[in-house]
Amino acid sequence: MNFGRREKIGLGFFLLCYLTAVYWVWTRSSPLIRERPVTIRIAHWQIEAGPPDGIDAIIRRYEALHPRVKVEQQLIPGIVYKQWLRSNLAGGTGADIIEWGPWIEGVRDVPARYFEPITAALALPNPYNGGTPLEGVPWQQTFKDGLGGQRTDSPDPGEIFGVTLCEVSVRLFCNRELLREVTGSTRIPQTFDDMRRIFGQLDAYNLRSGRQPVMALAGAKDNNEWLQEYLLMGVTMGLNFTLDDPGSLFLANRQILAAYLEGRWNFRRPEVKAGFELMREIGRHMKPGFQQLSRDEATREFMHGDALFIFTGTWDATSLRRLASFTIDALRFPQPTKDDPVVGRYTIGRFADGGGVTAMAMHLNKASPHKAETLDFMRFMTSMQGSQLFTDGSGWLPATLGVKIPPEIVSFLSPQDGYALCQPYSIIGSNATMQFSRNMHLLTGEHGSVDKFTAALDEVMPEAVRSDLQSELRSLLMTIRTQDGRTIAHAQLSGAAVAGRNHAVLREVMECGETISEATALQMRCQLEQTAPTK
Amino acid sequence: MFAGGARRACGKGKIFQHARVFGASTPLPRSAFLLLAGWLWLVRTVWAHEPDLTQVWKNLADSQNTTAQAMLASLPPDGSRARLLATAVVQMAHQPVTEEMLRSAEADLVVVAQGDDEVAALAGYLRARLYQVHFQKTDYTRAAELYRELARRQPQNHWARLGLMKLGLLTLFALPEPAEPVARLRAVEALLPAIAEPALQRDLNLQLGRAAVLYERPVEETLVYLKAVDRVGGLVGLVAEDLVSQLGELSLRAGRPADAKVYFQRFLRDFPTNNRSFNVEQKLARIAEREHAAGQGGGP
Repeated sequence: MNFGRREKIGLGFFLLCYLTAVYWVWTRSSPLIRERPVTIRIAHWQIEAGPPDGIDAIIRRYEALHPRVKVEQQLIPGIVYKQWLRSNLAGGTGADIIEWGPWIEGVRDVPARYFEPITAALALPNPYNGGTPLEGVPWQQTFKDGLGGQRTDSPDPGEIFGVTLCEVSVRLFCNRELLREVTGSTRIPQTFDDMRRIFGQLDAYNLRSGRQPVMALAGAKDNNEWLQEYLLMGVTMGLNFTLDDPGSLFLANRQILAAYLEGRWNFRRPEVKAGFELMREIGRHMKPGFQQLSRDEATREFMHGDALFIFTGTWDATSLRRLASFTIDALRFPQPTKDDPVVGRYTIGRFADGGGVTAMAMHLNKASPHKAETLDFMRFMTSMQGSQLFTDGSGWLPATLGVKIPPEIVSFLSPQDGYALCQPYSIIGSNATMQFSRNMHLLTGEHGSVDKFTAALDEVMPEAVRSDLQSELRSLLMTIRTQDGRTIAHAQLSGAAVAGRNHAVLREVMECGETISEATALQMRCQLEQTAPTK
Repeated sequence: MFAGGARRACGKGKIFQHARVFGASTPLPRSAFLLLAGWLWLVRTVWAHEPDLTQVWKNLADSQNTTAQAMLASLPPDGSRARLLATAVVQMAHQPVTEEMLRSAEADLVVVAQGDDEVAALAGYLRARLYQVHFQKTDYTRAAELYRELARRQPQNHWARLGLMKLGLLTLFALPEPAEPVARLRAVEALLPAIAEPALQRDLNLQLGRAAVLYERPVEETLVYLKAVDRVGGLVGLVAEDLVSQLGELSLRAGRPADAKVYFQRFLRDFPTNNRSFNVEQKLARIAEREHAAGQGGGP
């Protein structure tokens, strides 16, 4: 082979360029994928004042720690959240991290279909807690409730799908100046009787003031429902304990639904009717037509000084405090006691008002193209540092242990000093909730009554409850079906190496969880068959 | 000069006919081309991650079913049973799944199940799962038959034992026979020795306890099952909490407050942040009241 000088130079130059390029790729741009910039998105409906600021603070800090990761916050109004969730997840355009709650009607199947269980990751320490009192603590145990709510709401009893950002409780927010004007003092109500007394004083105030009547409670469908759930739960606590056959001191919705179909409770039970009586009494202190109004209207009414109290969750607290021109006190709602003339005989003691359960659950989208980065952000978000940023920015209580609570929200903390067993009957399933709400006017309307309401519920609830239990069963089966492939895959990847041993552990955990889910599904199927209406 | 040299070299090998680069009319000299080709082969060998079955399983474990399916399709067919098993699992995991796909998966599993190795046991187990949970219309009787058959063929295999455990669930809650609840419980208890693995025996005992409650058996009977679960341990999450509170509450119902006290105290110690704590504390307070009353009465 005879090369001329120019050919040799050309070939040499070509090889040099090639080798330089190879050197560059292997040494300067490696590792290729891990270093590439990525964008992850977090979507939620908490568009009240506060949470977006808190999440922004987390994002800014995280992006500073990880410059190649960009995090975008998507604020989706609650009114369209359900539609947004369904269409984006079905279309494969859902955010990487998505807020979800089991009470949202018609999306109960979403975790099983679209979210990734993170149980295994939760069993390991959160690296972002290094150097804090939570160092080395399994991630799951760094949450105040050990993610108890997430485990309860999981479509698969063996898996956890979400991590939480905050702790919520329900509070009675009071316009202190207006209270002084109405009652002549700023003494806050301590008992339910005190509340009744203030309702009476307010009637007198309205007569003498000559101004537009001030309502005792800011009225809206949402606020009314929250208050009713709260009161109904307290009155039926004793009844609920009688339904706890397994002795778990806890009841899942499916157990309450099955107990209803088995005829073990109904809306005509004296405890339940007493609860309705109390709900009707309270409803009379909201403005007429409140069932047609949303929570924004109630907030507006309270802000204008047209209502003395507003009953809502601590999720509204930041908005209220930022917008109000008067002093707001956050009170624990005075609970009826055993000597209460309406519900006293059914009361077994104090019941929980939200403390100890964490919320604002964020889920990992199964279809996320950046699962590792997303999970890492979820770890940071719920670490002591991330949670502190969220709390300071949002004015919401943190879900993570050890976070300093700002003095202005200390009153939102609820000590665990009340019974907590299950959900109130008004929110045990999508259809049951819908029917409860649809017929509410028969209880709280001007011509309504407890008897009219219970008669209407008796008519529609058997079908609604059955449908809810069927829906629970479908979701559970859907989860079980997806488990088989994963269990087999973990078995195939098991081995003597570290990764192989991890897969073996995961297989065993999944087998155990799947067995529990299957037994639950079979029991539900049994209960549905045994209580099927005769044709 | 370069072009002329190359042309001369070109006549010496057929390979050079394809060695024109960048659309230029000048072919590379043979040695340069071979060097480049060798280099590229080396790079490819070092860097290229050929998909293999392990990658398919990894994607399935990560719920990336579509990727797993695409990866499996890109693998050259090798006619192995392991490959056929992966095909069946991918079909079962595919969304949306159709009855036709499940039938096709079953046909693959029947083939894979011919043998007495691990893969055969897995295939036998999965085939029963198709009838128990995957087909639109479940057939518990057929699933039970397949679980029994697998246990007969490979009694020492994990998947056969897991199948026996599933058979236990079906017997407790779904199969028409035995009809009597007590007979169901006894039939399932009889499966426990063959299941052999402690973790699986624990899981079945847990479900025996659940069934005993459902069939309103005496509390003492439920406690026997739950204590067997507790002896093995290793449960995680909500189930672990349920177990301890159940042991406490059922002991109390069975008239054994001293036992109940031990379990309730354990609950508070092991699950301090659980929102059932108040319920448990009230139970303990009531036990203490009774103890106090019994102490004041002077009698046992």
